[in-house]
This record gives sequence, structure tokens and C-alpha cells, in this order.
Amino acid sequence: MTAGRPLVIETRGLRKVYGIGRAPLVALQDISFAVEEGSFVSLVGPSGCGKSTLLQMLAGLVPSTAGEVLVDGVAVHQPAPEKISVMFQDATLLPWKRVAENVEFPLEVRGMKVAERRKRAAAMLSLVGLADFAQRYPHELSGGMRQRVSIARALAPDPRIMLMDEPFGALDEQTRIKMGHELLRIWEKTGKTIFFITHSLTEALFLADTVLVMSHRPGQIVGTIKVDLPRPRTYEIIGSAEFGAMRNRIWKLISQDDREVIGEGMAGL
Amino acid sequence: MKSLVLFTQLAFVALVIGLWAIGSWIGAFDPAILPPPANVAIALEGLLRNGDFLAYSLDTITRVVAAFVIGAPIALAAGFVMGENVGVGRSLSTIFNMVLSVPQSIFLPLFVLLFGLGFTQKLIFGITHVFFVVAINAMAAVRQVPHGQVTLARSFGAGRLRVYRSIYLPAMAPQVMTGLRLGIIFDIIGILLAEMYASRTGLGVLLLRWGESYTVDKLMAASVLISAATIAINETMRIWELRVGRWRKVLENR
Repeated sequence: MTAGRPLVIETRGLRKVYGIGRAPLVALQDISFAVEEGSFVSLVGPSGCGKSTLLQMLAGLVPSTAGEVLVDGVAVHQPAPEKISVMFQDATLLPWKRVAENVEFPLEVRGMKVAERRKRAAAMLSLVGLADFAQRYPHELSGGMRQRVSIARALAPDPRIMLMDEPFGALDEQTRIKMGHELLRIWEKTGKTIFFITHSLTEALFLADTVLVMSHRPGQIVGTIKVDLPRPRTYEIIGSAEFGAMRNRIWKLISQDDREVIGEGMAGL
Repeated sequence: MKSLVLFTQLAFVALVIGLWAIGSWIGAFDPAILPPPANVAIALEGLLRNGDFLAYSLDTITRVVAAFVIGAPIALAAGFVMGENVGVGRSLSTIFNMVLSVPQSIFLPLFVLLFGLGFTQKLIFGITHVFFVVAINAMAAVRQVPHGQVTLARSFGAGRLRVYRSIYLPAMAPQVMTGLRLGIIFDIIGILLAEMYASRTGLGVLLLRWGESYTVDKLMAASVLISAATIAINETMRIWELRVGRWRKVLENR
């Protein structure tokens, strides 16, 4: 990250507690971080650490128990689709709509005229390389293609921020790597701010400018890693000593946390 | 392939009618109990010209339609509320499923005592036949709406109405159609049963009267006609059901 770029997302002392009364579960505790305009930030952490909850709070889909989320300096209390698009692990395409209609969906919700949104959807589909599949149904596509449609749909309303919740988590390794490259290409072309959740350390480092590391019970940010690897990134970079060192640092941050959990489990035996 | 299926089906029907005709011709069947198909066809033709028969048919149709038009919307609303409220839904759906397992015909004498022999009794009996199956299916349909799709729509700024229209409606449509289709069939069963048990007008009355007086040609003609009508209704609803659920079928075949 270069200094001086404005902050688009900022969280201050975010906290989420589920259930009230006798056994409240603290899902997230004191989450504070900032994301600069146009940057690519990854969030890694073990499953169940509250990554998705955090993302849904950033999207205004889930209220926080304490603390606040600021987007462009304004507190978020409900979805702000003109600024933010969300992508989920499951492509969540609507099975009764054709590919193009799925991409049009956010525009339809917004009330854009049919002709205009058709045009826009077509442009987005060619950006992700699926122009030929506009009239197909989601079930006719592979998993990777479905996620590309999901990217096109997220881009359609032209948001400045993309929140992505393990979007490639369900894909096979090869497709996942390809999708990573694809996403970087689109990011470089469009200049969006991307907040990307993953449980893959390699994926987080390969894609991001900054990696936020989360631990669980309760979920909190235990480290922030600046990734100063050159761009455009190539696959070979993953084998570099620099990359390995960073991955080890993240691993240490996460596994410290794991030891405690294993300890807890053993105590119960 | 499709034409072969159709051919086989037609051939089967022709075979049954053929055996029936031959059996009657060689005297294997007592014409007082099973008249030859030609006689039934003539009786059918006569019924379609008979003003009284048509008036009675109209009575039955009116009852069936009225019970459906009143019962189905109430059932859809109840099923929707049960589907959206997990607590209420879970307790009520158990009761509804139990009610569905009870043959409702056993309550017919009670209905007659409570509501008499007229239109009201038939209407209420028909509504109870429509209600439970439509409500249970509507509830199941709501439960099937994928949570992820609702969250997705909300993230794009969809309000409650938009979520209902763009996510709930298409996701629920196939299962709701199944409920409505079964509902109208149960409705017809209920109304005809009520008419046969105790009524002054309606097709059920005629069926019973012709049965008791050995007027078998008319009895069979009316039975064939009613069967054809219910099959036509069921098939129409089923085609519609498949159409709104086309996307679901492809998912299953994957």
C-alpha cells in the first residue's frame, strides 16, 4: 500500500456476540483495521473464526454488537449496493434465470431499464470471458464458470468495493489458480478495492497487498502482513524465498492459536 | 421415443376397451352389470344433451371451484406463515400431517349434523380437503427457499417485497403447484363424497341413484366423464408444475 490513498473501509472495535443470557458466544472481538482505496486485502484464518460474519458486517447484512464499520467515512447499517458488491463461496446463481439474467439481477433490483442492463450484462460477461454463455442456464456451466458469472454479476452495478467470501473455496486446485489470475487481471483493469476471505495462505499472499490474519475463539486480528511482492504476479513467485518466509509468519500466527485449541480439546479427554 | 410411449398408452386403452367389447359380445359379462362399451357411449351422448344432468354437473363444479377459490388462498397464507415462523410452523405442521393421515370421510356425518345438507356443508367439507395438503406444501416450499439466495438479493439492496418476488416466488412455485394440484383432486373427492352421502343435487347424487337402480350404462358414462375431467385437470396442472419447475428438474438430472 502506498501512503496517501484514502481509506474506503474502516472498522473500529467491532464486536459480535451471539446469544444473550447465560452462555453468550463472542464471535468477534475488537476488530479494527483499515482498507485503502484500490487495494487488495486478504483475510485468512481457520474455519469458524468468524471471517464470514465479519464480511457480512462489512456488507451491512449483519449488525454488530459493538463498534462500527465505516465505508467512505460513513457508518454502515444496511447494504450499500451502490458502493459494495458481495460474492459468496457458493456462486449463488439463481437457477431459474439464464446467465445473462443473473448478471442483470443487481441492476434489475436497482430498477435499471431493460435495454441498458442487457448491454451492461453483456459487457461484464465478455470481461470474464463468458460472452458465449449468456443464454445458458447456471447448471450448464462448470464450477469455475459459475464463479466467473458471479464475478460478472458483482461487477455489474460498478461498485467500488468487492467483498469476497472464499469465492474459490469450492473449486479444484487448478481452477482455483486460474481464477486467482483472472481476478487479478480484472482487479488491475477495473481498480476496485477487494476484500478477499480465504483459508488458503498461498492464495491470500499470492493475491493481496495486505494480509490480515485472524484467530478464533474469539475471532480477532492477530497480525497484518504487508505483501511487497512485485506485480503482475506470476505463479513462480509462490516458490520464492520471500513468499515462503511470509507464509511461515502467517502460519506461526495461526498455529499459535491452534495449539491452544488442541490443548483445550485434550483437557476434555 | 415420445411417440412410442404415446402409442403404447393408446394401445393399452384400446386393448381394455376391446376386451370389454368382445367379452360383452360373446356374453361373458352380464349386460345388467357391465353393459357393452357401445351402450355406454350412447348413454354418454344422451347425458351430454340432458339439461338436468348438465344442471347437476354445474352444481358440482360450482362447489368444487368455490371450495378451491376460498380454501387455497387461506391455505397458502397459512403455509407461508408456518414456513416463515419456525416455532409456529414446527408445532402446527405436526398436527397438519396427522390430520392429513386421517380419512376425512369419517367426519362427514358430523359435518351433516353441524351444517345440514346444503351448499354450506359441501363447501366446508371441500375446503377442509383443499386446506391441509396445500398448506403443508406451501410451508415446505418456504422452507426450501435457499438462505444464500436471500442474503445475496439483500446484498444488492433488495427489500422484503423484492426478495419475495424475485427469490421466494420462483423458488417456491414448483412445490406450491404440487400442493394446488393435489388440493383440487382432494377437493373433487370431498365434494363428490359429500354429494353421494347426503345431498339433493350434484353428480354424486346421480351416481348413487343410478347405482341403486341398476342404470349401469348411465352410471358408467358419468364415471367415464368425471374420470376424463379429473385426468384433464391433473395433467394440465402437472404440465404447469413442470414448467415452473423446469430449472429444478435439470438440477436433479445433473
